[in-house]
Amino acid sequence: MMKLTKSRLKSSLLCALATVSLSYIGLVQAKEWPEDNIRLVVPYSAGGTTDLLSRKVADMLQKELTTVVVENRPGAGSTVATGQLARGGRGSDYMLLMASPGHTIGASLYPNLRYDPVSDFAFVRNVINIPNVMVVPSDSPYNTVAEFVEAARSQQLTFSSPGIGSSVHMSGELFKTMTKANLVHVPFRGSGEALPALLSGDVDVAFENMPTVYPHIQSGKLKALAVTTVEESEFLPGVMPMRKAGKGYGLETYETSAWFGLIVHKSFPEEGMVKLQAALDNVMSSDEFKKFLPQFGAEAGEVVGDDFRQFVQDEVQKWSDVAEKANLKR
Amino acid sequence: MEKSEQQFVADSEPLYGRWNPNSALGGIFAVLAACFLFYVVPGYIVIPSDMQHPLLSPRFLPQLAGWMVLALSTLLMIDGLIKPPKREEVNEFRRGVPVMRQALMVAAGIVYVLFFEELGAIGSGVLATALLFLASGLRNPWVYALVIVFPVVVTLLFIYVLYVPLPAGTLWESLSLI
Amino acid sequence: MENFSEVLALFLSVDNFLAIAVGVLIGVVVGAIPGLTATMAVALALPFTFSMEPVTAILLLVGIYKGGMYGGSITAILIRTPGSPAAACTLLDGYPMAQQGKAKKALKTALYSSVVADMISNLALIFFASYLAKIALNFGPPEYFWLICFSLTIIVSVSGDSVIKGLIAASLGIIVSTIGLDAVYGTQRLTFDDYNLMDRVSFIPLLIGLFAIPEVIDFYTSKVAPHLRTAVAGASLTWKEFKGLLKTIVRGSVIGVIIGAIPGTGATTAAFISYSEAKRTSPNKANFGKGEIEGVAAAEAGNNGVAGATLIPLLSLGIPGDVITAIILGAFMIHGLTPGPILFQENLTLVYALFCGIMVSSVVLLFVGNAAIRYFSVIADIPKTILLPIVLMFCIYGAYAVNNSTFDIGLMLAFGVLGFVFNRTGIASAPFLIGFILGPMFEDNLRRTMLISKDDLSIFFRGPITWVFVMLTIASLIFAIRRYWVARNEAAV
Repeated sequence: MMKLTKSRLKSSLLCALATVSLSYIGLVQAKEWPEDNIRLVVPYSAGGTTDLLSRKVADMLQKELTTVVVENRPGAGSTVATGQLARGGRGSDYMLLMASPGHTIGASLYPNLRYDPVSDFAFVRNVINIPNVMVVPSDSPYNTVAEFVEAARSQQLTFSSPGIGSSVHMSGELFKTMTKANLVHVPFRGSGEALPALLSGDVDVAFENMPTVYPHIQSGKLKALAVTTVEESEFLPGVMPMRKAGKGYGLETYETSAWFGLIVHKSFPEEGMVKLQAALDNVMSSDEFKKFLPQFGAEAGEVVGDDFRQFVQDEVQKWSDVAEKANLKR
Repeated sequence: MEKSEQQFVADSEPLYGRWNPNSALGGIFAVLAACFLFYVVPGYIVIPSDMQHPLLSPRFLPQLAGWMVLALSTLLMIDGLIKPPKREEVNEFRRGVPVMRQALMVAAGIVYVLFFEELGAIGSGVLATALLFLASGLRNPWVYALVIVFPVVVTLLFIYVLYVPLPAGTLWESLSLI
Repeated sequence: MENFSEVLALFLSVDNFLAIAVGVLIGVVVGAIPGLTATMAVALALPFTFSMEPVTAILLLVGIYKGGMYGGSITAILIRTPGSPAAACTLLDGYPMAQQGKAKKALKTALYSSVVADMISNLALIFFASYLAKIALNFGPPEYFWLICFSLTIIVSVSGDSVIKGLIAASLGIIVSTIGLDAVYGTQRLTFDDYNLMDRVSFIPLLIGLFAIPEVIDFYTSKVAPHLRTAVAGASLTWKEFKGLLKTIVRGSVIGVIIGAIPGTGATTAAFISYSEAKRTSPNKANFGKGEIEGVAAAEAGNNGVAGATLIPLLSLGIPGDVITAIILGAFMIHGLTPGPILFQENLTLVYALFCGIMVSSVVLLFVGNAAIRYFSVIADIPKTILLPIVLMFCIYGAYAVNNSTFDIGLMLAFGVLGFVFNRTGIASAPFLIGFILGPMFEDNLRRTMLISKDDLSIFFRGPITWVFVMLTIASLIFAIRRYWVARNEAAV
């Protein structure tokens, strides 16, 4: 047995290599979409809100279609992964990306983007929306948006965020430009670091995501002054939407939320798009999904296909203007 | 007598002269730090127009650290001149290392850095591991079976057990092997 | 305690014990593989917990967390490859011990220190959670700023033979840490317009590059040496030695608990502070960094002391202190639970069932760890000619897997070359790592303090906590300078 000749060894090794590399991805006859595993790219690192929501969606989606593998590709906001998707090429027929406000904000924040956030992609649908809430510490002297704006026009106040370019940060910048308040941004790294500063009153206000601050509003450590969506949120009954609460202070058109939706490369097959949207419809109408949403203070996304594209286009424009005014545009 | 004899032995221990490694190292670092402070920082760190306070400047920490390097490396240089460090014995394993061995290591590194995506995790793993085995002059053909087994097993482990995706190799894809 | 039976009913199930055992096992294995961190394992395990009972789900994740904290030390000791960031400190003395044929002793020391620290951390969580959570809330930017200043003084103790060189390395680490987009203004800093540098330099490639790769380069730039069996069959840790270490372990655990209870500082910092404290008070100061058993114990105690304590701000305030606890927070929410004071009011039974499970996980760690030592020790028997190419492969795959980026492979090898140069010129690598970790924290908190100060700089000294850390910083500096002079004069005589 030990006297295996060199050539036999070589050929058997080659054989082994070939077999392995073939079975590695799986040789499948060309059939209809999906003939391969779907990859859901999360443009942030494992453990964030986007990652968590994506994994849940992937888990539910694969019961409808085929195996969905979640892949984290963080880098430069979300622009590294998005740029890779925009380049397309092999495998892009099975690549989905969980887009979030970073997709539209990043377009103005990061320099020399090599893709267009709207025209390089096809838009599947908006899956989940999470409202932001304007919160102040419970011992804060301000009880309404009006009081807060009045105070912030006569003195300098601070607002916290989990990082520059996050939807929480940009909601604050939007508030600042619309009300012409004297607000200073204090960046932290992640909500875990930002929250204690807010609870202890080191910063005056935040425009945080609902799930982050909801328990603290419930326990009375934070006061909710307004929600950033157009309608009142079912989780915080009695808390006015910003448009109403800030009437007379330039906030009549204020609206932001953390949205999450699936986008694909612009050459994505038509058949796949139809199937994907149908599968998402099933997922989103399931009881499991409806039970899952309230745990994050989230609402089901509404816009599909071209409406979603229009929504993203409007968002890009909105944040580009805000970034310009806040001196963040690169 | 003991004392003076010990002194003598201590003095005759080989010391570096003026060109000791510490002074050289200090000199190199000092030059690099100066380049960093006077060329890189002004050129590649923009000061935003709306900066409120010099302590908030994006240049503050890099400059602080740069000056630290400059000051400390100057100190290291002077320290080396005043008190040259003792010469260490040269490790006998470091002498006469075959150039081929080092070249093969560099080649393996290049395979990983430049061709990881093209050859895929398995392809580059096999090639680089084979190069490194060659560098050590392994002759037993059975050992080379490991060259294939290990990258394959580890890649499959990453992909299917740990759910960590690794590249399959764009080269194989374009050759339609996969 | 009429609820006691309810707690037991909730906790005593086969599923829970299975979850703990599997979790700790996954944690130890993944933690030991370079590049795969406990964070990643927890994130990847999360989808599997969707369908589990809440207690089972959380215990699985906590098990992975605790296992991962320890697992990193195995490969750090055996092949100088820190499986997790905090193990970089264990490596300082663990690897030299292994080289001296005391691998088994080092591994056992690491395990027992981890388990004891874990227990202490759990007890702190169970009994002092609300108290420690209050302290944590009192930590604003100025308090953090002084805490980081104090932490920076540990550079002196890990600088090896030359403090000057150590400080240079730390400064270089700080410079590398400032690469990326500026946190306040979003402007580019030392990115040279390269996409891959827009975020900060990734931590895992830097960590592996700095410590593991130099071994590989070193091996291939010298002649093939005969294989030296590091003999894991060597002596184990004796009871007497363990008793001698107990003080260090307890001190390390307490440091770990305090650091862990304050969100955002991290296990690596705790390990290094504990190590530095042990060195300061040890009679064998000179042996630290050359294979001192107390160094291994201090590092591991500091790092595992964090594990239970990070759950304090999570459970009692709903604030995640690091990425792992952020994922665990997500797991709570998926099951419809919100950590924080409300959890203690509405789901007290569940909280106590969790506490039971967390205590059990420390015991499980002891058994899994012992088994792991036995199997991983095989590594020590493989000749380096075969082992090192395989280690390199793991490092490459791991570095790639963190961000799915080939750029990180290049980055890791570049830091490998830097680490190799450091080794050959007598510069310690640990200060570089500390500079890289603490540099951004220093800057962030300085800037945050400035931003919230509203132009009143007295905020830097606003309360007792700031003063405590100012004093500690000054005292630590005085100690360091005095020790430096004493050592210098001794060397001169």
